[in-house]
Amino acid sequence: MFFLQLRSELVKLFGKKRTYIGFGVFLLAQNLMLLAFRFSNWKNIYAKLLEGNGYLSDEFVSALTVAVILLYPQMVLLMPLYVTLVGGDLVAKEAEDGTLRMILSRPVSRFRLLFTKWLTGVIFSTILVISLGAMALFFARMRFAWRRMFVWFPLPEGTLIFNVLGPDEGLKCYVLAHFIMALNATTMLSLAFMFSCFNMKPAAATILALSLLLVCFVMELLPFFADWRDFTLTHHLRSWVYLFSKPVHLAQIAESMCVLAAVNVTAFVIGATHFHMRDIKS
Amino acid sequence: MIQLRNVGKQFGRRWAVRDLDLAVPRGEIFGLLGHNGAGKSTTIGMMLGQVWPTTGELRICGHDITRNRAQALYRVGAIFETPVFYDYLSGWRNLEILSHYTAPTPPEHISKIVEWVGLTGREHDKVGKYSHGMRTRLALAQALLPDPELLILDEPSDGLDPEGIHEMRLTIQRLQRELGLTILLSSHLLNEVEQLCTRIAVLNQGRKVFEGTLADAKQTKQWVRLNVGDFTKAVARLQSEQLITGTRNGSLVALADGVKTDVLVRRLVAMDIPVFEIAQEEETLEGFYLNLMQDSRAEKSPPAAH
Repeated sequence: MFFLQLRSELVKLFGKKRTYIGFGVFLLAQNLMLLAFRFSNWKNIYAKLLEGNGYLSDEFVSALTVAVILLYPQMVLLMPLYVTLVGGDLVAKEAEDGTLRMILSRPVSRFRLLFTKWLTGVIFSTILVISLGAMALFFARMRFAWRRMFVWFPLPEGTLIFNVLGPDEGLKCYVLAHFIMALNATTMLSLAFMFSCFNMKPAAATILALSLLLVCFVMELLPFFADWRDFTLTHHLRSWVYLFSKPVHLAQIAESMCVLAAVNVTAFVIGATHFHMRDIKS
Repeated sequence: MIQLRNVGKQFGRRWAVRDLDLAVPRGEIFGLLGHNGAGKSTTIGMMLGQVWPTTGELRICGHDITRNRAQALYRVGAIFETPVFYDYLSGWRNLEILSHYTAPTPPEHISKIVEWVGLTGREHDKVGKYSHGMRTRLALAQALLPDPELLILDEPSDGLDPEGIHEMRLTIQRLQRELGLTILLSSHLLNEVEQLCTRIAVLNQGRKVFEGTLADAKQTKQWVRLNVGDFTKAVARLQSEQLITGTRNGSLVALADGVKTDVLVRRLVAMDIPVFEIAQEEETLEGFYLNLMQDSRAEKSPPAAH
């Protein structure tokens, strides 16, 4: 029964056109960024950066390097928008439309219903991240050669991740980074899902989740909150970049993954508790 | 089938339903009447475990709905005022999805229900393309999916055209006749309730103001149409002699218990009031309902200050 219900939730989610907005926008954004990288000064900046450090730019401006360059801004800017959009819809949209009332006239427990919905969201987030990574690599490979990889991430705390990797090692890090990014996307979705369980419009749930992420992001940038930086969610959402550092900051990655898993559980429990107590009316 | 004891629901400081006792036996079409905001939908919400009661106990199909919701609703179907579905999916897919929240349902069973409600041939069309009447049929189909013993219908004719209302009425009668279902029908369409229900309960401002058979409702007062020379004078004199208990529309009087029309005529003639016509007036549900609401309001409003 559980798998039938999960299948039903997946059919509902993937049957909607708006579910695919994220995929479409990522596809467009990646191609635009790729064109900009190739035909603007962007590529030259990276080439100068490499040559300034004693590396041959032709060797390192590769498909893997470009794929990561495409990925980073999309993970920071677009991913939160699209996963919170879907997360905010999961419960609130059904409550708003009235279909939730019809489902809850059946002998299914509220907890199980929410769990299947949340799991559907997790599946969506994972598929979105994997598609994004695969598309970035595919489009980058179409225009750039398969060579060594170079990463350069300036972080808000003032540190810099600068590394060069071989193609195999680079690909391994790239794939592993997507597991962490899937957890990131799930966390953002869980926040929106939590708000969605309250009596509010779907857009309000999305906006609240995005606001929370924005507050964390701003706090991270302000020197006044420097001591609190480790407590912000955005700090932990960025842990995937440490996979590309040398040596790999495993402790930092593990800590962030634990924090993100805890945020997921907390958001689900808060949402489910409120939803359980709530009266569902037309 | 449905048993409510001392049920109450408070939203903030307002009681939407208060001290409600109700019993619906198996095989009956029971009408729940009341104006908008009387507490009908809240009561139905509590029966389906969607609204938590503040006080009291609700038993559906023998099970406590708050403690044993899954068993209580296992063979219950429900239709709400405006049928809402996933418009971007087909009718069939909608039925499949909804059936998964009760029990695995074989496609043959879904086909049978689709045929029963008359949607065969259109079940694979997207619901967004359905007319209101077809949506109502689909709503009925989803309610019949769990092979229900009890059907809860919350304003099922809402938004339907006269033909649709007629069709829905026939369907409800057919459901009871052919499938032997117990049906709880919430409505403010008095004509519909009068034609379908055997027993009714009337809610006003969250309280039950009447429960009984339709015959009881129609016989609560014996109304007589009275055409006399001076109706006001006649009423005043008859009331002073406690022969009548009320008047309506400037031509109807309610006889006191044990008083017959011949007594009334004799007294009016003795009072020198000419009587042109006197006839028994059969009470309609509408008349009964309006009176009940009027009485209920009169009880609640404080007496005017002099």
